[in-house]
Amino acid sequence: MDEPPISRGFRSRRQEQALKNRVPPGQYVTTDFPVLSAGPTPQIKLENWSLTLQLGGSVLGKWTWAEFEALPQTTIRTDIHCVTKWSKLDTTWQGVTIDNLFKAVGLAEPPAPYIMAHCEGAYTTNIPVADLVGGQGMIATRHEGLPLLPLHGGPARLLVPHLYFWKSGKWVRRLRFMEKDERGFWESLGYHNYGDPWKEQRYDGD
Amino acid sequence: MVTENGSDLVLDGNAAAGLLHEIFVTDTTAAQIQCDACGSISAVGSLRLYAAPMGAVLRCTHCDSIVMRAVRTPHGRWLEMSGARYLRFSLA
Amino acid sequence: MATETLAVQAPRIEWQLAEVRNIVIETYRVKSLLLHLSKWRGHLPGQHVDIRLTAEDGYQAQRSYSIASPPEDKLVTLTVEQVDNGEVSPYLVSDLRPGDQFELRGPIGGYFVWTVAMGGPLCLVAGGSGVVPLMAMLRHRDRRKRGVPTVLLYSSRSLEDVIYREELEAMARRDPDLRVVNTLTRKQPQGWMGHRRRIDKPLLAEACFPPETNPKTFVCGSTPFVESVSRHLVELGHDPLAIKTERFGPSGV
Repeated sequence: MDEPPISRGFRSRRQEQALKNRVPPGQYVTTDFPVLSAGPTPQIKLENWSLTLQLGGSVLGKWTWAEFEALPQTTIRTDIHCVTKWSKLDTTWQGVTIDNLFKAVGLAEPPAPYIMAHCEGAYTTNIPVADLVGGQGMIATRHEGLPLLPLHGGPARLLVPHLYFWKSGKWVRRLRFMEKDERGFWESLGYHNYGDPWKEQRYDGD
Repeated sequence: MVTENGSDLVLDGNAAAGLLHEIFVTDTTAAQIQCDACGSISAVGSLRLYAAPMGAVLRCTHCDSIVMRAVRTPHGRWLEMSGARYLRFSLA
Repeated sequence: MATETLAVQAPRIEWQLAEVRNIVIETYRVKSLLLHLSKWRGHLPGQHVDIRLTAEDGYQAQRSYSIASPPEDKLVTLTVEQVDNGEVSPYLVSDLRPGDQFELRGPIGGYFVWTVAMGGPLCLVAGGSGVVPLMAMLRHRDRRKRGVPTVLLYSSRSLEDVIYREELEAMARRDPDLRVVNTLTRKQPQGWMGHRRRIDKPLLAEACFPPETNPKTFVCGSTPFVESVSRHLVELGHDPLAIKTERFGPSGV
């Protein structure tokens, strides 16, 4: 395969920083916050919002916005990595950790090993529960101290920053426990089932 | 078309033409597609396109249901059309 | 029977080398790039190309641009508007020099296409840089001299933002079958007698051909522009299937 011709003088606008241990392979650091959506931005009214935790046909927990906001809040500062190659460092998020969500419904042990996150616009993404607990995952409602904009997944999105950002499903509405792993929206269309940026697991077959 | 700042903008099937051409080896944008959810028929080029950097998610202009999805990866090209009843190409 | 089904199969579009032969300043932030292509097979007015830039560190960016030139031209012209904070357009508009090269693939798209063989009347509605693929249609129409009744309704922010202004004026002056209707939405020069507002239903009713004439309509611009104009046209009685649209991102072209 021939090397592509270099376009003289063309430079990535994204500043590459010498923080090699923070930038996974193949990623470029950006100071923007690019938006990628698989559907139109839903305009969700808080009075109509709810989050459900589900196991089979049973609802383990369901929260209105007021109830959700009353749960213990956690703030984290983390880096995020999109499979389209941009990384954004030192982003701040506030929300409810999955640990606290499970605690709120009295789940000492997760009843199944996998979760499918169901989001607006028929978007889904699958994650092992082991990757959501221990502070690794949260339902985020604030970004950089401000309420999460609809464009970026507001009022609430899943946040799992140690995996490629498509796993941090915007406009999350339901977390469904699964006995067996099922592939979500992108995972069933050529993207990697797990998505570890440090192993560059972008696509199915990587 | 990939938007410059990646802001939340909807393009259309015309912008997915390059990727679809790799899969169909013929122009798809002029083909008619019937949405399985609402039954309306549109040209592929007029469908609303989302998620362009990751692939093409084409939604019905009438009901916003997903009609077609396509992705190109280093391991192959994927196409999913469960949201369509048929695709109709006219003779050139 | 099997041999007749695919009467014309489009060739697989491959990446090829584009070399900049000439750069034309269109407005204070729009330039046209005249390109020589290594393996070009021709195109239809309205089609676009994908271009791919590779930086020295291997970073790549890909964008789509409508072809501004008619198929009758030897060189392929892309018209690019510089977008603030854009990644690719500032390079194409400010840094690119004749002799530079990048990869290009096309032509792409068979939906948003018009040739004189398709006939008229032809109704073209452009928002900002959405005029580019419509200009390819107009230039093609001008070269073929078939006298297809045509109107271009073109919305721009100000006179300085009207791309191809002199060329459009000259075309309209020498061709009684072509009307160019400008509307300047933010700033108008002294003594401006034309329209001053965004394209709305009354303006479309006034400028476009009536639905009974079965015009072929092409609308190009930002998504809100295209959706608003299409909606108005359908409300005015136009057949939705006869209205073809192309939505541009914020980069326009």
